[in-house]
Amino acid sequence: MAGSGHSKIASNSAWWLLLPALAVLAFVGVLPLMTIFNYSFFDIFTLENRYWVGTEWYREILSSERFLHSLGRSLLFSAIVLSIQIPLGIYIALLLPREGHVKTAILMVLALPLMVPWNTVPSMWVSFMDDQSGFGGQAVSLLGVDFDYKFNAVHTWILLVAMDTWHWIGLVVILCYSSLSTISPAYYQAAAIDGASRLQVFRYVELPKMSGVLMMAVLLRFMDSLMIYTEAFRVNAGGPNHATSFLSLDLGEEIAAFDYGPAAARSIIYFVIILTVAWAFKTIMNIRQGESRRVGA
Amino acid sequence: MVRARSTASRLKTFMVYVFLTALVGFVLLPFVQMLLLSFTSTLPRDGIAQWQFSTINFQNIIASPLLSGSIVNSIIYVSLNVIVTLLVAIPAAYAIARYRFTGDKHVFLLLIAFRITPPVVLTLPVFILFAKVGLVNTPVGIALVHCVFNIPIAIWILESFISAVPRELDETAFLDGYSLPRFFVRQLLPLIAPGVGVAAFFCFMFSWVEVVFARILTVTGGKPITMAINTLYGFRTDIGLVMAMTLVSLIPGLAVIYFVRNHIAKGFIVRT
Repeated sequence: MAGSGHSKIASNSAWWLLLPALAVLAFVGVLPLMTIFNYSFFDIFTLENRYWVGTEWYREILSSERFLHSLGRSLLFSAIVLSIQIPLGIYIALLLPREGHVKTAILMVLALPLMVPWNTVPSMWVSFMDDQSGFGGQAVSLLGVDFDYKFNAVHTWILLVAMDTWHWIGLVVILCYSSLSTISPAYYQAAAIDGASRLQVFRYVELPKMSGVLMMAVLLRFMDSLMIYTEAFRVNAGGPNHATSFLSLDLGEEIAAFDYGPAAARSIIYFVIILTVAWAFKTIMNIRQGESRRVGA
Repeated sequence: MVRARSTASRLKTFMVYVFLTALVGFVLLPFVQMLLLSFTSTLPRDGIAQWQFSTINFQNIIASPLLSGSIVNSIIYVSLNVIVTLLVAIPAAYAIARYRFTGDKHVFLLLIAFRITPPVVLTLPVFILFAKVGLVNTPVGIALVHCVFNIPIAIWILESFISAVPRELDETAFLDGYSLPRFFVRQLLPLIAPGVGVAAFFCFMFSWVEVVFARILTVTGGKPITMAINTLYGFRTDIGLVMAMTLVSLIPGLAVIYFVRNHIAKGFIVRT
C-alpha cells in the first residue's frame, strides 16, 4: 500500500482525496475506540451512573491467570492455523494449472466456504461430524476413532482447526494464485535454460513475486484466527473445561453480562495487541521495500 | 530412459489430480450434507415423517416474514456497504497510488489496524453511538459499521490496480482539460474495472457473512440473514431450517463468485 514512492508526486492536497474514507473510519472506528477508552477507567452501573476506578480493570485483567491462559490458547491456535493454511495455500496455488477451466472451477469451489454465514459454519460442521448422520462423523467412526468434540479437548481443537482451514483456505489460495498468475512465462523459460530445480524456481522466481500478497494473507489469517469468536463459540462455547476459550470469547462474555467497565478495558488491551501487530507488519514491509529498492537500483 | 521419465511425469500429473480431487471433495462434502439436510424434515411434524425428504423448510422460509424479510435486509445492507466503500475508497486509493504526502505512512498503519480490529472489540461503543444517532435496527447501521474492515481492504486492492495504470494517462487527461471527477469516471474506472470487481467481491464476502456487528445492531428489527438464522437456534434447533436458510444465503454469494471468476483467476498483482 505504501508504494515505493520514487515515481510519486509530493502533494499534501492528496489528503482531500483521503478525507471521505477517513471521515467514515473516524465515525465507525476512532470515535468508538475513544468512547471505550473513556469507559475503561470507570465502574459502570448504568451509563449515567458510574464511578472512577482508575487503572483497576487493567491491573485486574493483566494479572489474571485466565487472561494469560486465553492469550496462550489464542496464540497457539493462530500458530497452528498459520502453519497449516499458509503452506497448504501456497502448495495448492502452485499446483493449479495456469490455463483452462479446471483452475477457474477449483478457485470457485474454494471461494464457496468464504460465502457461508459465520454462524452457520459451525452448524454445518457439527452436522457433518455427527456420528449418526454426518458424512465426516461416519467416516471417522469407520476408521475406528471415537470422535467426541464435546468432551475431548484435543478433538475440539482438531475440529476447530479443520473447520477454520475449510473456511479460509480459499482466501490464501486466491491471494497466492493471483500473484503467481502475473509471472510472465519468460521467467520460467529463463529458469529452465539455467537448469534451475523446482525448488530454486520457487525460491527465486515465485516466492519474491508472492511475498507482498503472502504478507497480507499471513496478517489477515493471523488476526482473524487470534480473535476467532463466532465459530469457536458455536462449536463448544469455549469448552470442554475452558480448553477452547479464546480471547474474544472472554470479551463476549463480559459484554453479554453488561460488565461495561472491564469489557472496555479488555477491548483497549486487545486493541493495543492489534496496533502492535499492525506496527510490526508495517515495519517489516518498510524493510522489505528498502531491500527491493536497493536491488532495483 | 525417456520412457521412464514420461511414466514418472504422468504419475506425477495423476497424483496432482488425485490431490486436487480430494481437496474439492473436502470443500464440497459439508455442502452436500447441508443440501441434504435442507431438504429433510428434521423435527417431528404432523403428516411428515422425521428425517424424510421434504420441502417443508423452504415453505417455512416463505411463510415466515422474519426469514424471507431478512434476505431483503441482507441485500440492502451489503449493497449499501459496497457502494459506500467503493465511493470513498477509489479517491483514497488514487491518492495513495499517485501522491507522496505528510503522514502517508501513518495512514497505512491506521488502515491495517482497522482492518484487523475484531468486531467484538468495537461492539459496545458502536452500539451506544449508533443508538444515539438512530442507526440501530436498520440495515444502514450495519452497512456503515462494516466499512471499518472493508474500506482498508478496498483501498489496498484498488491501489495496486491504479498503480499499474501508467501516470501518463492522468497527465494527458489533465492537459486535455479533464477535471478530477470526470477523469475518474471517463478514463480511470474503465481501466481498473476488474479491480473494482475484485474489491467489490472482497467487500461482499466480508460483509455478507459477518455476525458480531449485525447482532448488536439489530435488536428488534432489520435483521439480516445471519441474525434470522441466530433466532432459529434454541433448545430444539430445527437444523433443516437452518441449513435451508444457509443454502438461500449462498445464492447471492454464488452469483458474485460467478461474476468475478475470470478476474480472480486471471490474477491481480497486489503490491504492498
